[in-house]
Amino acid sequence: MIAIPSALPRLLHPLRRNLVIGMTLAVVTLPQAIAFSTTLAGLPPHFGIYAAIWGVLFTAMLNPSRVFSGGPNTTMSAAIGVTLLPIAPPFGADYLGYALTLILLAGLIQLLFVLIRPLGRMLDLINEPVINGLICGIGLFLIFKSLTSFAGLPINTQVDWPLWIAWQSLLAVLEIGNMYAIQIGLITLITSLVFRQFEALRNWAILFGVCAGTAYSEYLNATVGLQNTLIEQIANLSSMGWVLPSIPLFDQEAMSDIITILPGAVTLALLGLFQTVAAMRRMNRKVGGYTDSRKGIFADAVSNCVLPFLSSMPTCASFNRMWLVHSLGGQSRWTSAASALVLLLMVLFLAPLIAIIPMPAMAAVIMLLGANMINWGDIKPHFRDRRETVVFLASFLSVLFLDLFGAVVVGSILAIGYSKWEQAHPNLSVRGKVLKVRGNIYYGSLPVIEATYHRVLEREGEVVLDFSECYYIDREGIRWLAAAKAEQKAILSDRRRTPDRRQGDRRNAADKRRQKGRRTGKPDRRQRSEF
Amino acid sequence: MAVVWVKLLRTAAIVAVLGLLYLLAIQKHAERDSQREAPVELTAACAEKLQAYALSASEVYRSPYLHKTTGRVSELSGYSEADIRAIQRGCNIVDDTQGQLAKQGARERWNATRFSRSTHTSCDHCHQSLGDKQDSAGNRIVGSNGLGASWVMADMYDRFTGLLLPYEMRQMQCFINSSNGFKPNAADDLLRDITAYSRFLSAALDLKIGHRYPEQGMEEIPASATLRRGDDYVRGAHLYREKCAACHGVQGFGTVVDGKVLYPALAGPESFSLDSRMHFGRVNTVMAGFICRNMPLGQEGSLANQDCRDIAYYISTLPRPAGDRQGPLVAAWQQLMMGVMPPLTRYAESLGRSDTPHAIP
Repeated sequence: MIAIPSALPRLLHPLRRNLVIGMTLAVVTLPQAIAFSTTLAGLPPHFGIYAAIWGVLFTAMLNPSRVFSGGPNTTMSAAIGVTLLPIAPPFGADYLGYALTLILLAGLIQLLFVLIRPLGRMLDLINEPVINGLICGIGLFLIFKSLTSFAGLPINTQVDWPLWIAWQSLLAVLEIGNMYAIQIGLITLITSLVFRQFEALRNWAILFGVCAGTAYSEYLNATVGLQNTLIEQIANLSSMGWVLPSIPLFDQEAMSDIITILPGAVTLALLGLFQTVAAMRRMNRKVGGYTDSRKGIFADAVSNCVLPFLSSMPTCASFNRMWLVHSLGGQSRWTSAASALVLLLMVLFLAPLIAIIPMPAMAAVIMLLGANMINWGDIKPHFRDRRETVVFLASFLSVLFLDLFGAVVVGSILAIGYSKWEQAHPNLSVRGKVLKVRGNIYYGSLPVIEATYHRVLEREGEVVLDFSECYYIDREGIRWLAAAKAEQKAILSDRRRTPDRRQGDRRNAADKRRQKGRRTGKPDRRQRSEF
Repeated sequence: MAVVWVKLLRTAAIVAVLGLLYLLAIQKHAERDSQREAPVELTAACAEKLQAYALSASEVYRSPYLHKTTGRVSELSGYSEADIRAIQRGCNIVDDTQGQLAKQGARERWNATRFSRSTHTSCDHCHQSLGDKQDSAGNRIVGSNGLGASWVMADMYDRFTGLLLPYEMRQMQCFINSSNGFKPNAADDLLRDITAYSRFLSAALDLKIGHRYPEQGMEEIPASATLRRGDDYVRGAHLYREKCAACHGVQGFGTVVDGKVLYPALAGPESFSLDSRMHFGRVNTVMAGFICRNMPLGQEGSLANQDCRDIAYYISTLPRPAGDRQGPLVAAWQQLMMGVMPPLTRYAESLGRSDTPHAIP
């Protein structure tokens, strides 16, 4: 009886802190969730909100990382819109069904990445230049993509992904945009921009912007009238409850369309996993500590398989929100869970307020987030290395000139090519007739080594091949070394002191036999510094 | 302190840029408004057509066409001055999409050239006689792509894609495929005015909304309408040389005189794209139907069904731009073919004649 009052605050303190951070996170997520679903994915706002509730909750439960934060994501929402716009008119019943199917397919594909271990391992090859190139390209695209809703113009139902087509919407905004919509959008944009400059209000800037835009829109409604301004608003959410069950569309008639959206599902799955893996990797390094990215993939895959049955958009890691949780001092998974619960309560009680948010304000939010994705601080390091520059630019341009699927494919190929290129070019230095190899000797790097080897051989007539700093030699490499040795023109040199430092004390049966001296007739080749 | 100034300057710069864009938008809007109010200078064909249908501002519209053909009198709600200007502009766009007959050029046509990579395309190349083709007795011609009949069928399901297509989207498809271009926004005056004109045509011809009229769309010629000997582009090439090359050119590049398109291109960079339904490889009945109905000018109906299919097949083998949905690889290949094939073909043809030297001209 006496112990409880003293223990309670100690127990409640972290809970309260989690709740406060969770509330901030919920407030940051809500406008994003609505904007993603309505302006990017072409889905009603509750899809984004449920993703911000259930998606966040599921990933928080399944992912052991303490700062992980899932939820709706710009890129994935854009991928949904781009995939489905040619299939059905947005916001329609068919469209919703196809969207759920698409998300489920993406979840199943992600599940493959969990089940097939090498596939999941491949994701670790996606390096920073590739992912930053994709993110920058998509950020730039989001700005253009949201121009039409920014100006209250009808969205085009066919995909205009390439930039040379998308820029025409800027001309459309200037010439035929709805001036009231443009005013609302500009007010949202400028308010958010100004509030962002104050460190204390930075996280709340978008909310302030949306509030300002909504207030101006309400002022217009009162003075000019909605029938004259023709501003589109978020639909009424009052029918939203705790859970809204839904079933993906798998009709016989829909099958041909479902086959055509398969590349879109692959894109969606990969975009989600790229971001989850990259965000977890970056977060691990910034925060310190380590969480296996495989667990993140598992959490995403399972969530995305469940979410389409709860009428929700797919989830993946959001680096910005993870950074926010970390900088606010969130240190447990309860933070994300709390944000989901707060959001649910907010939506249940604030639905009438959400309903009057004008769409141009949502488009302005997307533009801001798109601009945020192009972060010079992240890009600048890539321009210090020529190879990274090439990979970054190729990935960036592939988003602008190909579609999302093409960009993802190009990104994957680039990433694998980059890592292979790195290995296939060992550092070779020649001093006199000594050729020193730093790196791998394997089938991929052999041609490079051979070229230098023969050049030196022609010049000097003899080569000392120093591979003290080789850390990997494959079978083909060993055969080549043996052949070079057999030709009597190469002297192989290994200046490492110990017989094999990497092996340490581990010895296999053959070593033990050698050490016992059973094969005394032949000298042990490993004991010599040159063989 | 310096950080504060940098932040302040950066924010001020962004706000200034947004403000400038806003001012630009106000100016562009004013420009559009003034152009909407300005009186329209009709092209000759449009003046004749609209006068024949007695377009004038009044409370009630009575169609002279209906009176002439059936003797009945219809009373439809009339047109305001603004409506009439929209219809006139729409007619001008259909007649002269590139603005070659306008004083201010493309600007008078709502910058239609911005949405077209081809410099030849005009709506009336396919929608002949300004989308209202009639014989001498005033009967509308079956399968002549009539715009009025198309408007009353607007918002119906598309035959090929099964999508519900608003009239604006149908026009977008014309811009994307037939002019190998880009789609205007659905709210653009360009599309609105063409819609206004099409809607006026349907009123003038007394067409009822939702009805399917025979002049709507192209009359198609499927293989079953021939003797089924199979389509042959070699036969098509001979026929093309004989019947079409005089106007459209041996290579199908069209004829342009003094910057004005007399006969449009059927191949090469100025023609329709691979995604167009006019392309035999995509829909193999439409182009053949168009040729049989409308070509050669002055001798319409002189070609047999099989001839039309052969010619359409041959034309589809000539290089043309790729559709935007076909991706960069196809686009690059078609670009290469458009550069390489014409001189190669010319050279190959010169080999057959004894009087010409064997050289690429």
